[in-house]
Amino acid sequence: MDAQDKKLTIGHLYPDLLNLYGDRGNIACIMQRCKWRGIEAETIEFNSGDIIDFENLDILLLGGGSDREQMIVCEKLQEIQKEFKAYVEDNGVVIAVCGGYQLLGEYYKTDKGTMEGLHLVDIYTEQGEGRLIDNIVLESELFSMPVVGFENHGGRTYIKDNQPFGKVLYGAGNDGTSGYEGVVYKNVIGTYLHGPLLPKNPQVCDWLIQKAMERRYGQVELAKLDDSQEEEANAYIAKRFVKS
Amino acid sequence: MRLRRILAIWAAKITEKVSVNIFHRQGVTWAGKIALRICPHILQELADQVKNDIFIVCGTNGKTTTNNMLCAALRAEGKTVICNHTGSNMLNGVVAAFVLGAGLGGNIKADYACIEIDEASTRKVFPHFKPDYMVLTNLFRDQLDRYGEIDTTMNILKEVMQSAPSMKIIVNGDDALSAYLAMESGNPYITYGISEQVMDEKDSHEIREGRFCKKCGAPLTYHFYHYSQLGDYVCTGCDFRRPAIQFDASAIGIGEQLSFTVEDKRITANYKGFYNVYNILAAYAAARSAGFALTHFNDMLKKFNPENGRMEQFMVKDTHIMLNLAKNPAGFNQNISAVMQDEAKKDIIIVINDNAQDGTDISWLWDVDFDRFNKADIQSITVSGIRGFDMRLRMKYVDISSTLEMDVEKAIRERVENGCKNLYLLVNYTALFSTRAILKRLEGEK
Repeated sequence: MDAQDKKLTIGHLYPDLLNLYGDRGNIACIMQRCKWRGIEAETIEFNSGDIIDFENLDILLLGGGSDREQMIVCEKLQEIQKEFKAYVEDNGVVIAVCGGYQLLGEYYKTDKGTMEGLHLVDIYTEQGEGRLIDNIVLESELFSMPVVGFENHGGRTYIKDNQPFGKVLYGAGNDGTSGYEGVVYKNVIGTYLHGPLLPKNPQVCDWLIQKAMERRYGQVELAKLDDSQEEEANAYIAKRFVKS
Repeated sequence: MRLRRILAIWAAKITEKVSVNIFHRQGVTWAGKIALRICPHILQELADQVKNDIFIVCGTNGKTTTNNMLCAALRAEGKTVICNHTGSNMLNGVVAAFVLGAGLGGNIKADYACIEIDEASTRKVFPHFKPDYMVLTNLFRDQLDRYGEIDTTMNILKEVMQSAPSMKIIVNGDDALSAYLAMESGNPYITYGISEQVMDEKDSHEIREGRFCKKCGAPLTYHFYHYSQLGDYVCTGCDFRRPAIQFDASAIGIGEQLSFTVEDKRITANYKGFYNVYNILAAYAAARSAGFALTHFNDMLKKFNPENGRMEQFMVKDTHIMLNLAKNPAGFNQNISAVMQDEAKKDIIIVINDNAQDGTDISWLWDVDFDRFNKADIQSITVSGIRGFDMRLRMKYVDISSTLEMDVEKAIRERVENGCKNLYLLVNYTALFSTRAILKRLEGEK
């Protein structure tokens, strides 16, 4: 089936609270890569207090915020936990970055108390000694191209026997010791990579678009785009930090 | 301890002489470091010798321009002033300003000191001396990998304000974050701001900090924005609101020149960029608060040449070049506004590095509203610097094509040869010094 003349709706959760580290870049990337293929794309921003209609959504983006703001979001999200869970179980596409990634799990324990998570994925996070801040490069089973970005987190996330997003080639990853980064569960990707993630990793962006299109329209083939600039930017980071 | 101090001053002066031409600002930092190593109390001792007041300038953007302008304003009134002109604003840089300003006999002769201090470094400087005034310009997101969240910076500033309870805070009342700090600190404070709406920023999607009241957590509502989160705000949940403004700029003129009226005086500067109204106003408010009539203020502005890559102008062959620092979203968005105020055709070169002093995380590029370049009369955009690939990608995602040239000098030479004779160079921190050196050299070539 041709992807043209189809429409995707992207939900950006609480951009008024979660907007650190260029999350807008991830939205811009999804929008542009749809538009360049003739797929109609619309982004709906849900600010705190707005009602979220999950039925209409194809891709959900949950970004990162400061600790204080993350706490507020956490409370807001509990109100829609059931609907959110149903969306995930129904193969709804989610990209959760940094604070958003931590919120997917059971809980986030900090020295100021424990934040109840959304219980969408069986993972948990605990605050560790010092922050893990650096460029990061992953090798992911989902893609042939490396995944590159920047991480900056105080929490250490433990994913039990869930599938990681990638193996760490450079950087710290989930907890600084396991050698893995992020989590993949159904059509959900949780990751500490901002940078932002999607523009320099068009393969990840297209994975999200592909999954969302398949869920709504059945089998589709995404048109190939000229990604030479994306690939050069990606390769520059991979080569600079990973010594082969 | 005078002998030790003299030794420290001599050692610092020699270090500076030897290294500053090669290492630029780094040389100044080293001079401070050596002086402090030889004589740990040197900053305290020299600061004590300042006859009248010590001003410090803090805040994310505008520190260097405000501080240098304040220094120039005081000198125009006939005062001698110690100042860290180069923008070396961590502990060693502050020490260097005093040490390099001292005589070989170990003493300084200064009526005032104007010192800009990096917000995170205030904690290290305040144990050495307590300033009489702190100018707080604004708080924006900046180098999250180095400084952490704005909340962290605010906690540090609150702590140092309370450690110097008689220090007067001269605060930008249009910034809810800065104003909150001044009000909560318990310190005496003086406000400056702009009470009339200047720009129509309602439809802007600019990233704004502090949408929620720091006092009670409820959302703030705005009557208008100037840019970023600067504007006229009121809390929907408690009594927090924009404070009464003591130094209020009105009848703002922006364009080839900046002009405004404060205290019934017309101020005019040969400067661009709306944000510079705040810098001028901050310097004005600080000097007025210290009791100066400022009769020479306009003369000072006429002669004021920053010489530090803040809206600095160069002429290479027949190309007019404007160099400006752009190191975080708020600053870059203001740069774009300044570019757009120039109605002539222009070429643009953007240089982005990711060295430690720039912040190694450049994700903030995606928080800048580059799509506005689509509405400016731009002939070409060239991207360069260590993160040139990222910058080119950023432009691609706002549908603007750009040329990548990793060599900054080549990029400039190419545009001077083939460009439209009106060139803007927007560069981040470490790129500023190297780019400025290139421009100085090209200007000298015949």
